[in-house]
Amino acid sequence: MQPFDLAAVFSNPDFVSMILTGIRFTFLVFAGSWLLGMALAAALLTIRLMPSAIAQHAVAAYVSYHRNVPTLVQLMLWYFGISNLLPDDLQAWLADHNGEAIFAIIALGLCQAAFFSEDLRSGLRAVAPGQAEAARALGHSYLGSMRWVILPQAVRNAIPALVNHSVSLFKNSSLAMAIGVAELTHAVREVESRSFRTFEVYAVGTLFYLVVSLLLMAAGAVLARRFRLAAAR
Amino acid sequence: MIVFSGVNKWYGPYHALDDINAEVKKGEVVVVCGPSGSGKSTLIRTVNRLEEIQSGSLTVDGTDIQAASNRGSALNRMRSRIGFVFQSFNLFPHLSVLDNIALSPIKVLGAKREDARTKALQLLTRVGLANKAQAYPAQLSGGQQQRVAIARALAMEPPAMLFDEPTSALDPEMVGEVLTVMRVLADEGMTMMCVTHEMGFARDVADRIWFMDAGRILETADPEAFFRAPQHPRAQRFLSDLRSH
Amino acid sequence: MLSVLQIVRDNWLLLLIGQYPYGPLGGIAATLILSVFGILLAFPLSVALALARTSPLRWLRWPVTGLVYVTRGVPLLMIILWTYFLLPALLGHPVSGFTTMLCTLILYEGCYLSEVVRAGIEALPKGQTEAAKALGHGYFGRMRWIILPQALFNMLPSMLSQFISTIQDTTLGYVINVQELTFAANQINNQLLTQPFQVFFILAITYFVVCFTLTQFTHWLERLIAARRRGGALPASARAALEDDLPLPTGEELL
Repeated sequence: MQPFDLAAVFSNPDFVSMILTGIRFTFLVFAGSWLLGMALAAALLTIRLMPSAIAQHAVAAYVSYHRNVPTLVQLMLWYFGISNLLPDDLQAWLADHNGEAIFAIIALGLCQAAFFSEDLRSGLRAVAPGQAEAARALGHSYLGSMRWVILPQAVRNAIPALVNHSVSLFKNSSLAMAIGVAELTHAVREVESRSFRTFEVYAVGTLFYLVVSLLLMAAGAVLARRFRLAAAR
Repeated sequence: MIVFSGVNKWYGPYHALDDINAEVKKGEVVVVCGPSGSGKSTLIRTVNRLEEIQSGSLTVDGTDIQAASNRGSALNRMRSRIGFVFQSFNLFPHLSVLDNIALSPIKVLGAKREDARTKALQLLTRVGLANKAQAYPAQLSGGQQQRVAIARALAMEPPAMLFDEPTSALDPEMVGEVLTVMRVLADEGMTMMCVTHEMGFARDVADRIWFMDAGRILETADPEAFFRAPQHPRAQRFLSDLRSH
Repeated sequence: MLSVLQIVRDNWLLLLIGQYPYGPLGGIAATLILSVFGILLAFPLSVALALARTSPLRWLRWPVTGLVYVTRGVPLLMIILWTYFLLPALLGHPVSGFTTMLCTLILYEGCYLSEVVRAGIEALPKGQTEAAKALGHGYFGRMRWIILPQALFNMLPSMLSQFISTIQDTTLGYVINVQELTFAANQINNQLLTQPFQVFFILAITYFVVCFTLTQFTHWLERLIAARRRGGALPASARAALEDDLPLPTGEELL
């Protein structure tokens, strides 16, 4: 084996630009799907709170699908399957405008929404039952008690789970490579196949993922500690 | 002030409240006592409609709480005018003590933030906890939390206060501090309805005792008469059970 | 819909066992073999790692904690690439995609499973360890006879969940040409070319059915274990004495 030589990788501007592009796409996919997932999770939770049985079953079915089908398969279904059902000019437009990344964001965002909504739901269930009563006894309306008493506590309860799933989402961005998004894992493979410096390139990619994941976990721990609700009696 | 007239409540086939006819007069302190399962908690929870009644009428300060217009915002307004203190305190853990007290006057009554916070601090001083304004509920003892809960209810300036076994969840040494606050309230002329097992408090502070069993009020009497010579045999048995330990 | 049934009818053998006997075993069979062996072999590793992480010996605890954090912080795909590169280099001869995938799964699922086992161990009341020590058990004795039997039994549903995750993780073998179910579906798609939605729909539904069934089984197992931990029912008199003032309401919700 050749001695460890990072310079061989970093002295080549093409390799560096490929890796930087990869990092850019990784963050693009992560941020896009995180925002989509959160927004959709809020909507799903709102629907779940409606008294209709159809609403409950619809959301439960949505969550069940996204939890039982592997993420890679969901990505493939969107990118290979659903894109094929779209009208031709839309397909052409997507092909020109980073369609792979768009589908990756949609697929990962929809999947993540299922997990986030379940986390929020668990957080909601963990709020002590007396809280709603106390809020109502003081005269707060349903919306008021949700806004000022129940939801703030539900979100605080959900923070550890939300952070965990966010880290998972960050790692899942690597799956986008299977549908051709030029994110970091894809870039690592490309640079490795051209430079033959497998160990060094892999190490760079691994280190990046590790550092960001650990940062996310640390930020989550700080958030959780700051907003933790000690069990009220 | 609080008038029960032919009030009935069922949980399915179970008759939880059976033809309740009684009145808490303005400025009166009524203690409701009785064995477990007698319906006393259910009774007090019907007053601010945490429980619904199936028949009869319930009037609070002249307002029929069952009126059809009592839906949505009218219901909330009605509730905000009756103070309720829970057995398990139910303070809001994500808010400081001061914010627990000030939140509802601001959001429900539309008070100005500064006024609400000033008043909250005054109430905290009244219950003896001014130095805990910035603390969070989890940092307080049970007795302290319950006193904050009382201050929180008082912040809405209700004409009447309801207490649902306020000291039952407290360690014995903290019961006194809460009863003291309640005593002071009673001396100041607050209309109070209390469900409690604290017979010493009942004897000293109550104007009337309502004894309940199996959903019915079996006896109402003034405390002296009740504790010296209860009329109803069930009440006699209840008091002798209490004394025997 | 008709085309979906047609595709299944034409290709069910490929989806089931891949190109066997004209190639390695593939399809659902390969997926299940990978998952089952992956989790079974990961299990002893996970127990060892969990014991290391709860051990009072720092030289054992820290490296293992480091290993688990690294495995949790790096995407599975990246770990697969590492194994694909390192395994042949270490063994001195080429390694098939299947073997690479299996080894990666053992390591990856082993680390995640060790967190489950660790949670089970730490959830037991301290009194269990104290009683074991008081009776004179050594470390391995009390782990073997008292702590682990309880911890593992309590965590059975979580371990089953990890197995379901493993099934989903096998799909990543596609990237290194492991001939499991996702690979088979892609083969079909590359042949047909005109019905990608139907093909991937079949793929998604297949995984859904397998994982959903296992998830339902996990719920049933959870209920069974919870009931067993609660012990038998209380006698009627004790139950009545425990009941408080308010019977369970059947009335309207508060909100």
